[in-house]
Amino acid sequence: MSQDNRTLTIERILNAPIQLVWDAWTQPEHIAKWWGPKGMDTRVEVHELKVGGTWRFAMRMPDGKDFIAEGIYKELSPPNKLVTSADFKPMTEGVSLEVLLEADGDQTKFTFNVVHPTEEYCKQQEAMGFYNGWASTFDRLAELLQT
Amino acid sequence: MRRDVFQAMADPVRRDIIELLARDILTINEVADHFDISRPAISKQLRILQECGLVRIEQKGRVRYCSIQPKELIPAFLWIDRYRSLWEEKVDSFEAYVNQLSSKNKKL
Repeated sequence: MSQDNRTLTIERILNAPIQLVWDAWTQPEHIAKWWGPKGMDTRVEVHELKVGGTWRFAMRMPDGKDFIAEGIYKELSPPNKLVTSADFKPMTEGVSLEVLLEADGDQTKFTFNVVHPTEEYCKQQEAMGFYNGWASTFDRLAELLQT
Repeated sequence: MRRDVFQAMADPVRRDIIELLARDILTINEVADHFDISRPAISKQLRILQECGLVRIEQKGRVRYCSIQPKELIPAFLWIDRYRSLWEEKVDSFEAYVNQLSSKNKKL
């Protein structure tokens, strides 16, 4: 969790050159392979890789219903930066996703930010921080739950 | 006003009360002793926690005892686990795929 309290950050060093990482994130034939959780097929229904372009991915859930993720690209600076709005209904709506890539030889420094713009999400972030900081309390509650 | 676990956790005093009651069953006065704010203000927060289902208040004689209802916290556990894992899994999946692509390219 970053300092501004509304951004969730995940960082990785990827064992691949930057252009390949960029392509894997932005080309539909690649997206379909990694977007969904294991064993779940992703259909790329719409994908317009341009600023203002929309994307919509559908995942077939075990109950037969589709789980839809969609958004609009806000910024594209290949192969270093991508910003898009995103809705994952009904769980997460109105977030902004940022992908930042930095070449380091044959490796790529990968930073993924989920930015929550609304007050409601800030509150939920606060709730998350509350859980993160209170592991012992919740261990105790978990014990209580088992009794 | 919404009455659920997320509402209960939206206030720092209520979070402190939850933490206290996770350790012990306390009377309202004992809860109030832990805070600088007035007893009526603590009673109000306890009432909200009760309405959210997180705290049970039981009258025994002249004393009212407060206890946590841990099962009511489950939705928050689930929500947070789901939320965190949503993004972590996606990045893990992406990393695995990129590694796979990368090693394929090296072989070519």
